[in-house]
Amino acid sequence: MRNKKWIQPAVAVVLLTGLLAGCSGGNGGNDNAGNAASNGSANNGDTANNGGANSGEAGGDELEPITLTFYGSDSSPNWQKMQDAAGRAITAATGVTLDAEFAVGDSTQKIALIAASGEYPDLISPKGELSKLVDAGAMLDLTDLIEEHAPNIKKLFGDQMSRLRYSTDDPSIYVIPTYAEVGGGLLDAGGGFGLQHRVVKELGYPEIRTVEDFENAIRMYLEKHPVDENGNPNIGLTLDSDDWRTYITVTNPAFFTTGAPDDGEYHIDIDTLEVTYHFRRDVEKEYFRWLNHMNAEGLLDKESFVQKTDQYKAKIASGRVLGLIDQGWGYADGENALKTEGKMDYTYGHYPVTLREEFKETSFWPTGFSPGWGVGITTGAEDPVRAIQFLDFLASDEGQILDNWGVEGEQYVIEDGKRVVPQEVQEFAKNDPTGFQKESGIGFYHNMGGHYGDGVKDETDNYYTKNFPEQIVEGYTDAEKETLAAYDATVWKDLFPSEKEFPVRPWGAAWNITVPATSETNILAEKMKEITWKRVPEAILADPADFDRIWDAYMADLEKAGVERMEDGYEALVKERVELWSD
Amino acid sequence: MKSDTAPYGAPTSAARAGRFWRNAARSKYLYAMSLPFVAWVFVFNYLPLWGWTMAFQNFRPGRGLFDQEWAGLTHFRMLLQDDMFYLVLRNTLAMSLMGLIAGFTVPIVFAVLLNEVRNIVFKRFVQTVSYLPHFVSWVVVAGLVTKMLSTQNGIVNDVLLWTGLIHEPVQFMAKGEWFWGIVTAADVWKETGWNTIIYLAAIAGIGPELYEAARVDGASRVRQIWHITLPGIRTTIIILLIMSIGHLISIGFEKQFLLGNNLVREYSQVLDLYALNYGLGMGRFSFGTAINMFNSLVSVILLLVANGLFKRFTNESIM
Repeated sequence: MRNKKWIQPAVAVVLLTGLLAGCSGGNGGNDNAGNAASNGSANNGDTANNGGANSGEAGGDELEPITLTFYGSDSSPNWQKMQDAAGRAITAATGVTLDAEFAVGDSTQKIALIAASGEYPDLISPKGELSKLVDAGAMLDLTDLIEEHAPNIKKLFGDQMSRLRYSTDDPSIYVIPTYAEVGGGLLDAGGGFGLQHRVVKELGYPEIRTVEDFENAIRMYLEKHPVDENGNPNIGLTLDSDDWRTYITVTNPAFFTTGAPDDGEYHIDIDTLEVTYHFRRDVEKEYFRWLNHMNAEGLLDKESFVQKTDQYKAKIASGRVLGLIDQGWGYADGENALKTEGKMDYTYGHYPVTLREEFKETSFWPTGFSPGWGVGITTGAEDPVRAIQFLDFLASDEGQILDNWGVEGEQYVIEDGKRVVPQEVQEFAKNDPTGFQKESGIGFYHNMGGHYGDGVKDETDNYYTKNFPEQIVEGYTDAEKETLAAYDATVWKDLFPSEKEFPVRPWGAAWNITVPATSETNILAEKMKEITWKRVPEAILADPADFDRIWDAYMADLEKAGVERMEDGYEALVKERVELWSD
Repeated sequence: MKSDTAPYGAPTSAARAGRFWRNAARSKYLYAMSLPFVAWVFVFNYLPLWGWTMAFQNFRPGRGLFDQEWAGLTHFRMLLQDDMFYLVLRNTLAMSLMGLIAGFTVPIVFAVLLNEVRNIVFKRFVQTVSYLPHFVSWVVVAGLVTKMLSTQNGIVNDVLLWTGLIHEPVQFMAKGEWFWGIVTAADVWKETGWNTIIYLAAIAGIGPELYEAARVDGASRVRQIWHITLPGIRTTIIILLIMSIGHLISIGFEKQFLLGNNLVREYSQVLDLYALNYGLGMGRFSFGTAINMFNSLVSVILLLVANGLFKRFTNESIM
């Protein structure tokens, strides 16, 4: 009885609270909407003014502020929600504010979820997962939109437009290629085999050309300095095999060092287009045998196959790691920490290491214009015209300069008709790259819009990107300059074989060929990955006497799992790509 | 199982129907209060079952049900023919069985021991400290475990080296055969304290007069535990055990995903990870659904079997 007395009021209270919450929720929503609307109109005036002041051409015509949602498959940890110099200028010019979400870790599942949910962001950059969205009918064909609303995109891609088409069966354009660059080429080496400057300095700058040279440099330095100043052991070479990083630091170097270009997990014969899973090349076995030898000698970090990426970066930031096999962006966080501490001698130089002298390091094997990954507009976009106009702006000269150089008068100035980065900005960017990016926004929009490559000049005879030989040298630390001078080079690229030494591949780069999501090739590829990621570390860590046995077992596993069927399936795709692009 | 949310007092025969309705009328407020939860279970646990239809189609997102291509049992056949599936099933069952055994014995022993502690302040302190790890996320725990087992400055290796048991640091995380053990140990570390709470509550419900009587009869501490404490919490143990058996196959994948690495792949891949990588991750929604459906069916069967067995042999059950 006593219970009953309080139950009734209690229920009443609960219900009432719910009711109130519901009401106030509704009110809140309305209020927000109202605010947004009024803010919007206020902003409208602002943007119109800004636009007029900045460019003098955008004027106030139809720059209704609009928020576009965006999903990007690359993480962008410093993203400032467009409240950075470049972002504000882009909003001013286009009226567009991006509500952006970026991948955390591997984006594959996120794209699958987006495809399944049916709730698409307005703009999406799915990288290799485009086919899932196309299968779901999520992507808009951009052909007509580009024709009508995107003069800058048309100008940028010019006669390469046919390469934007999706497939021979479906010649729609689904994405604006924003990863592949138009014209130009890589001006500097950003990765490969890395050695700390203090190592080569101490050894009197020996030639670093083969894996043996690399190994000897590490060994000799380690013999002299087995521990760092705190008594912790120095580490010869460490790798990062945390999930997909395995490709970058463990498996891709196998083809870079053995004279084959980067075609993802495959090797493609340039004449016959015959596809081989690249681990099945005999010469790569020798590369892994060398890693096995490094491990047996105690030069390879014992934790290479156990550590997570954050541990790997932390190790690099500690300055104890002498050698790396990685791309610059993979360890940049660790290296930046070293730079902030002023330990410039502990940062890394890049060397064109191959297995034996007979091979050419293939980092600079040109891909030609090789689109594939890019940003597309989804069927969920309410205003595709504004979306394509936004992408068009990013592809315009103005947009590209904003992304590469920043805002005039802030991140660069024009002196005698040349874009120049003032000394203090240069210092800021060098010493605090993260802070600089957060403030300037430079680089945030790079993979959102189509762009020219390094070394291409605009109408004012200035380079589009900041990466041109003179500028690159200015960005180097003193330690880098010292090492380069000792090797008689101006930029790291001088040490590597140049583009001109390699033939052009008619399929561009195979890693951006999209494999249909549910095809057998795709499933087999996942299985091969499973086997490879298990067997390769096993082989590397094995007793050298067991290496051949494990490798043979690995090859047998691949064959049993159907590697040949996968190769055939992929070969068909490569041939289709060559055909699609040939006209 | 969600049957515990159903209203109590359901009639077992028609003769009792009248009493049931009278009962229902009397406790109408209780029924009203349980309604939202019934609705909740229905909306979130039963409606999504509709999605199982995907397992029988070659599902492509963004299309209606009738535009889908029906595939019959293809995906199940593919699943059962995949070697990888048996490997992940083995890992899943091994790890969950180990987890089940450790996850039962350790908290029960701990609860009984804690119950014997006479100093209340100390008891409360130990209890609080022991359940704190429950609130730490697996990401952090995985970081701690990898750091502690590291060959460079890892505390476990340091201690072992110091005691002279080993002469060279052991690569704990690189040994596939040890992976299951490491996962189980990490799980015990994280969840023991939390799981103890329910047993302590059950022990607290045992009447003190039983202990008094036992003491008068001259029973020792150990005898009291054996004859009073353990039988006293038997019901709780069995109910929890039956429910855990139902969850045997769905152990999630955070632990394995976060602690695993390429060297231990063969031991660290579990069903949920397999469903993620080969299903959702590759856009094979139908295949992923087939895996999950298989999971659910196995779970239900396990639950019913366990329930039946316990009912038969101990007269305790949850249904």
